[in-house]
Amino acid sequence: MPHLVLDKVSVHYDGQPAPAVERVSLDIGKDDFVVLVGRSGCGKTSLLNVAAGLVEPAWGKATIDGRPITAPGPDRAVVFQNDALFPWLTARENVAFALRLHGVSADARARRADELLSLVKLGDAGDKRIWELSGGMRQRVGLARALAAEPEFLLLDEPLGALDALTRERMQTTLLDLWGASRVGVLMVTHGIEEALVLATRVVVLAPGPGHVVRTFETHFGRRYAAGEPIRAIKADPVFAAARADLTDAIFEGEAA
Amino acid sequence: MSVGTYSERPGAKPGENDGFSVPWSRPRPKRVVISVRLVSAITILMLLAAWTVSASLQLVSPVFLPSPAAVWAKFVVVARDGFVDATLLQHLVASLGRVFAALIAAIVVGVPVGLAIGVSRIGRGVFDPLLEFLRPIPPLAYLPLIVIWFGIGEPSKILVIAIAMLAPVALSTAAGVRGVSRERIDAARSMGATRSQLIRHVVLPSALPSILTGLRIALGAGWSTLVAAELVAATRGLGFMIQSAAQFLVTDVVVMGILVIAMVAFALEFVIRRIERALVPWAGRE
Repeated sequence: MPHLVLDKVSVHYDGQPAPAVERVSLDIGKDDFVVLVGRSGCGKTSLLNVAAGLVEPAWGKATIDGRPITAPGPDRAVVFQNDALFPWLTARENVAFALRLHGVSADARARRADELLSLVKLGDAGDKRIWELSGGMRQRVGLARALAAEPEFLLLDEPLGALDALTRERMQTTLLDLWGASRVGVLMVTHGIEEALVLATRVVVLAPGPGHVVRTFETHFGRRYAAGEPIRAIKADPVFAAARADLTDAIFEGEAA
Repeated sequence: MSVGTYSERPGAKPGENDGFSVPWSRPRPKRVVISVRLVSAITILMLLAAWTVSASLQLVSPVFLPSPAAVWAKFVVVARDGFVDATLLQHLVASLGRVFAALIAAIVVGVPVGLAIGVSRIGRGVFDPLLEFLRPIPPLAYLPLIVIWFGIGEPSKILVIAIAMLAPVALSTAAGVRGVSRERIDAARSMGATRSQLIRHVVLPSALPSILTGLRIALGAGWSTLVAAELVAATRGLGFMIQSAAQFLVTDVVVMGILVIAMVAFALEFVIRRIERALVPWAGRE
């Protein structure tokens, strides 16, 4: 089973006096949904970029199935906060972009793109232009596009950060549905405490100065949703509220209340 | 579900004093919005009127300033019978032909140069100083050199215009290329795009709005170089027509030629804006 592994990774940007991240280790299996949370400046995005191959670690190793990560690759798809879609293409063409890069025939890629679009509940929006879509729809197109290359891992950098609260809530279940349907390992960065709990199988709490892991929580709420429990019932569960309090404490640990 | 202390205010009648709108406050008078177009139209009409009056009162000799009527009459005559062996349309076609040939040359050279400036440090090092050197030189200054090098034929005329167009095309392309968002590039790279795929499928389309703006500026620059380009050994063209007329003091043709050049520039601007809207409908809407 493929594993995305960061082994004692440190990130040090040129011209910065201190490293952004120091000796962080992560192991993401193909069935995991790992969420990184923490205050600003704790190096969440830096770690995600190391996994993506966009940033090279100063020390430590990043590997996927034992192979070192040196560049972005189709085995790891990245989705950013700003959707980074291509406005000169339709929604369908955006989703099919990776397939076009790899020389898949026009017919086959249109079919695959439509499948993915209906997976994110945008089955009838294939011909729409990107600027005709709402923020939530755009982000769903972005997710479908990321899945088109059939990656083993999905790297999500605050994918719901730019959405309004209601759309955000709905997108959380969309993410869980996608994760369940496509069996990819997910590494996600978020600011949302509740969001982290709802989605993750493991929440990793980072603290700044330089970024390091303070605590790791194994959670099961995402799996409960996958097993058929409605999301509102999960969020109303006292266990959820307790976990939420613990996680909040961990994030603000060491900071004057 | 009961919601604590919130209750809707029952049966509030419209117009009832709600404690906020003060009964003695009069509605604010509507501000008169002045249309910019209207002001522009009035300005032009005033200028035309001043021109007509000064011409009809003979304030200035018609040799210096012919009346609007005379200019219009000349327009009709030149359009029908021609001036210096060609009709107005033939002059116009000759000039437009040169400008469009130059535009194509400027695109063929300028877009790749701009791309090189935008994506590579070496490209920027090589081309940036050359463009900065070329940009401020007036066409009349390099015209003699071009005639010495390339003769007095059609290529020289096109080259003069193309040089004036090169800098705006290349610099706008470079600006567009440099403005492509990091995330867009990273997203494409993570989908496995090679460097050349990145340029073809992401960088160039992203830069297209900026490139088109560059073409619009270039077209303006090229059109205003027309008279200089047609200084040497032309037999047709709007610039040539104006110069010939000036030599014989046929002021009404000079004025008419200037107006035609202005009108064509206006029309070109309109057309290219339409093209922009059709080709890059997403510009400004992202």
